[in-house]
Amino acid sequence: MALPFRSSSRKIWQTLSSIKTGVVLIILVVIFSAAGTVILQRPMTDADDMQRAYSPAMLRFLDVTGLTDIFHTRWFIALLILVSFSIIAASVQRFPNAWRYYARPYKSPDESFRKVLPTQAQVPLANYDEEQGLSAAERALKNLGVPAERIVRSNSFSLFAERNRISEMAVYIVHASLLLIFLGFIVDSVYGWRGFLMLSPGTASNQVELKNGALRTLPFSIRCDGTGEETYTDGSPKRWWSKLAVVDGGHEISRKEIVVNDPLVYRGLRFYQASWGRTGKLDKLIVDATRLNGATRTTQEVSLSMNQTVALDSDTSVQLVDFIPDFVVQDGRVYARSKEVVNPAVHLVVTSQKNNTSVNVWLPEIPGVDENAASSYSFDPKDLKTEVYTGLQVSHEPGQFAVWAGVVLMALGLTFVFYVVHMRFWVVPVVDAQGHSALWIGGTANRNRDAFELKFKKVVEQIQQELKIQVAAPSASTAAIPQRTMSGKTLSGITTAGR
Amino acid sequence: MARERVEQHPATGNTLVVMVGLGIAFLLFIAFLNVVKSGNILSEANLLYAALVFYAGAGALYLGFGVTGTDAYIKFASLMTWAGLLANTGAVAHRWYGAGHPPFASIYEMLLSFVWTLAALTLIAEKRYGVKVIGTVTMPVAIVGVILMQLLPSEVRPLVPALQSTWLHVHVTLAMLAYAACALSFALAMMFLIQDKVKTEVFLAATSVFTVGIYGAILLRFEKWGGLNVIAWDAQNKAEVFISRGVRLFVTIPDLGWLMLLVFAAVLAPLVLYILSRVRKNESLLAIADRAVFLSILLQSLALVFFLLRVRNGQYPSLDADGLYATSLATSPFILSALVGGIFANLLYLLLLWRRQDLERLLPDADALDRITYKTICIAFPLLTLMIAAGAYWANRAWGSYWNWDPKETWAAITWLVYAGYLHMRITRGWRGRRAAYFAILGFAVVMFTFFGVTYLLPGLHAYA
Repeated sequence: MALPFRSSSRKIWQTLSSIKTGVVLIILVVIFSAAGTVILQRPMTDADDMQRAYSPAMLRFLDVTGLTDIFHTRWFIALLILVSFSIIAASVQRFPNAWRYYARPYKSPDESFRKVLPTQAQVPLANYDEEQGLSAAERALKNLGVPAERIVRSNSFSLFAERNRISEMAVYIVHASLLLIFLGFIVDSVYGWRGFLMLSPGTASNQVELKNGALRTLPFSIRCDGTGEETYTDGSPKRWWSKLAVVDGGHEISRKEIVVNDPLVYRGLRFYQASWGRTGKLDKLIVDATRLNGATRTTQEVSLSMNQTVALDSDTSVQLVDFIPDFVVQDGRVYARSKEVVNPAVHLVVTSQKNNTSVNVWLPEIPGVDENAASSYSFDPKDLKTEVYTGLQVSHEPGQFAVWAGVVLMALGLTFVFYVVHMRFWVVPVVDAQGHSALWIGGTANRNRDAFELKFKKVVEQIQQELKIQVAAPSASTAAIPQRTMSGKTLSGITTAGR
Repeated sequence: MARERVEQHPATGNTLVVMVGLGIAFLLFIAFLNVVKSGNILSEANLLYAALVFYAGAGALYLGFGVTGTDAYIKFASLMTWAGLLANTGAVAHRWYGAGHPPFASIYEMLLSFVWTLAALTLIAEKRYGVKVIGTVTMPVAIVGVILMQLLPSEVRPLVPALQSTWLHVHVTLAMLAYAACALSFALAMMFLIQDKVKTEVFLAATSVFTVGIYGAILLRFEKWGGLNVIAWDAQNKAEVFISRGVRLFVTIPDLGWLMLLVFAAVLAPLVLYILSRVRKNESLLAIADRAVFLSILLQSLALVFFLLRVRNGQYPSLDADGLYATSLATSPFILSALVGGIFANLLYLLLLWRRQDLERLLPDADALDRITYKTICIAFPLLTLMIAAGAYWANRAWGSYWNWDPKETWAAITWLVYAGYLHMRITRGWRGRRAAYFAILGFAVVMFTFFGVTYLLPGLHAYA
C-alpha cells in the first residue's frame, strides 16, 4: 500500500506548495486578524465591558470559538504554522530549479535560444576578424562594469558576461527571513512571558505579577534605589526614571538608571520603565511645632514618618499615627475617599508624660474631630512627601533575536529582490544571411528591463563605434539596433542567421 | 480633437495665468500688510500662509490644465508648486527648530510633513515621469491639508516619555514615505484604468461606493432625534474631554444627523441608479445618475458648510453628562477629511466624465502606467516592511514587546500581506493590466483604512496618530 500513500502525500505536498494555497491561507490570516481588531479582545478589555458589549449567548459563543482572544488561540497559531509550512513547501519545490539556474549559468547560447531572445542585435564585422570583434565587445562590456569571460566553442570563442547572479536567489532569502521571524514569534509565544513589578524606593522584590494575576518568582531580585518624575511646565510628564540594582545571590551585580525607551537587561529579562505614580502612603511629613504655653514661643522643625515618635521637649512628644490622602468627614469620623493625594489630612498624637494626657491633633483642623485647641503645641505643616512607586514592565522574549535577525535578512533580501538586477550578455560570432561574418549580441535581465535595454543599446553602439561602422547603414540587413522591446511583444532588430 | 478644443477655448492663452497671478499678488499684499503690523516675517504661520497661497495658485492652474489641456499652465503651475514647497520647507524647518524634534508628534505636525511630501512627490512625478496631470489631484489635497492645519491646535506640545525615541522618527518617516508611495501607486492605477478604456460608469460606481462608505461611517455617530455625536473639546486646556480614562465625552449636535442622512440618500442615489441601469440594461438611467452626482456634490458641500459652522461655534448637550459643552474641529479631523474627500472624489468623477478624451491624450500610455504602478509598489513594499520593523523595535523598547496585536499593528500587517499578495501574483502568475491595477487600488484602500479608519473606529495603543 505504499503507492496510494505516496500519491496522497504527494498530493498534500503539491497542494501545500501551490501558490493558490498560499493565497488562500493569507486571505484567511487577513480575515481573522481583521476580526481580531473589530471584536473586543479579552485581556485588554475588562470583563464588565465585554458583558456590556455582547449578549450572554453571543459572548459564550465568542469565548468558546476563541474569537475573544484570537491572536492567542491554538487555531490561529496553527494557521500561522500552516502558512510557514506553505512557504517552506513552495520554496523547497522551486528551489532545485532556481539553484540549478544559479549554480550552472547558461554561458553558451545555442541557436534556438538566440532566435527567441527578445533583446538582441547583430553587428557586421566587415573587414575585421572575429578576434578584433570579440575584444571590442569585451571592452564595451568592461566599460559597463560587467567583465566578460571567454567561452570555448567548437572552433572559436564566444563571450559571456553577467552581474548580480545572487539576485536570482533573493526571493529565497526573503522567504527564509520570514520563517526566521515566525520562528522567533512562535518561540516567544510558547516560552515568553510578560509581567509587572511595582517597587518603592528602598525596596527590593523578586515577585513579578503576570498578566493573569499569578506571581512568578525570579531567581534574583531587583532593588529600587530611587525613582522620580520630571514634568513640563504645563504639568504633563516629561521623563520618568528609576535607579535599579540587580541583586543576585546576595550580591549586587549591576546598577542602571532606566528611563522610558531604555530598559535594564539581565539574564534575558528586560525591565522597562512602564509607569510611575504615588502609592497614597506617606513618606515624610515636615511640620513647624510651636510651643504655646511657655514663656518664650519657640519654634522647631520636626520631621516625621509613619508611626514615628519624636520628642518635642523633655515632657512632650508627638507621634504621626495616620495619613489620609483624600479625606472626607461623615458623622464625626474621618474617611479616605480615594488613594489620590488630593485632599490630605494627617493625624498626630501629642503626649505629655507628666500630665499623662494624649491630644489628637489633625492637620488641617477638622471641626468636631480635632482637639487642636487642647494641644500645648501648634503645628504648621511645611512639607508633605508621599511615597512614590515605579512600575516596571518585565518581559522575557527569548525569540526576539531571531525576529531581529529575520528583519535584517528581509531588508537585505528585499533590496536584492527589487533593486539588484541580474543581467547577462552573450556575444557570439556568427555568419549572417548574406554570408558575411558578424557578431551576435544578446542580453537579458531579470527585472527593470527598460533600463536594461538602454544599457544594452549603449554596449552595441560602443562596439559599432569601435569597429567604425556607420550607424545609419542604408541596407536593411547590416547594422541594426533593436528598438525598445516591450516584454517581448514587439521583436525588432534582426534575428540571427544560422552558422 | 485638438482643433475642437481650440474652438471651445479660443482664449487658451494666459487668461487664467494672469488671473491666478493677480489673485496671488493680492493675497500676498494683504499678508504683507499684516506682517508689517506684527513685524515678524518668518513666523511659521506666515510661511504656512504663503505655502497655502502658492499651492492654491498651483492647484487652480493644474485644474485649468486638466480642464483645457493648455500646456502653458503647467509651467506656471510647477513654478507655483516650487514656491509653495519652499515656503512649506521653511515652515517645517521653523517647526523642527522651534519644537526641537522632527514634526511628527501631533496630527498638525503630521499634516505639515504630509503636505510637504505630497508637493515634493508631485514635482518628482511631473519632472521625472512626465505625469503632468497629477497636480490636478495632489494640489487640492495639499490645499485641504493646509486649511485643516489652520483649524487644528498648533502649539508645540511636549512629548510624553514614550514618544521620546529616535525610533519614533524613523518609524513615522518610513510610514509617511510608504503611504505616499502607496497613494502614488493608487493614482497611477486609476490612470491606468482610464487609459485601459474602463467604462466611465465603472468609475461612477466606484466613486459612489466610496462616498456611500464615507457617509455610512459618519452616520455611525447618528444619535436619537437626528443629532450627530462629536467629541467635546475643552477650550481652556486645548484638549479633548474625557469622562474616565480612555473614554471620551461625546456631545450631540442637534439636526446635523438628519442632514447627514439626507446627504447619504443623495450619494446613494447614483449607486442605485447605476445598479438599476445594469439590471435593466437601460443606458438612459446613467445620464440621470450623472445628474444625481452633480446634485450630491451640492448637498455634500452644504453638509460640509453646516458641519464647519456648527462645530466651530456653539455649546451642545451631552447624553453622558449634564450641562453644555463646546466642541472643536480639532476633535473631528477624520469627519472633516472624509467630507472633503467625498466632494473631491465626486469632482474628479465629473472631470473624468467631461474631459475623458483630453485626459487620455495627456496621460502616458497604458503599458507605461502599468509598469510605473508596479515600480511604485516595488518602492512602497520595502518601505512598509521597514516601517513595521522600526515600529516593532520601538514598541519593544517602549512597552517591552515587539508585537502586541494592537489594531494599528494588525492592520499594518494586513496591508503588508495585501501588497505581498500583489507582488506574488504579478511576479509568479504574471498578473498585468487591469487585475493588477484593481489589486493596487485594494492595497491603497487598506492603507487608508489603516491610517484613518483604525484611528477613528478602533482604539488601541496608537493614541497619538
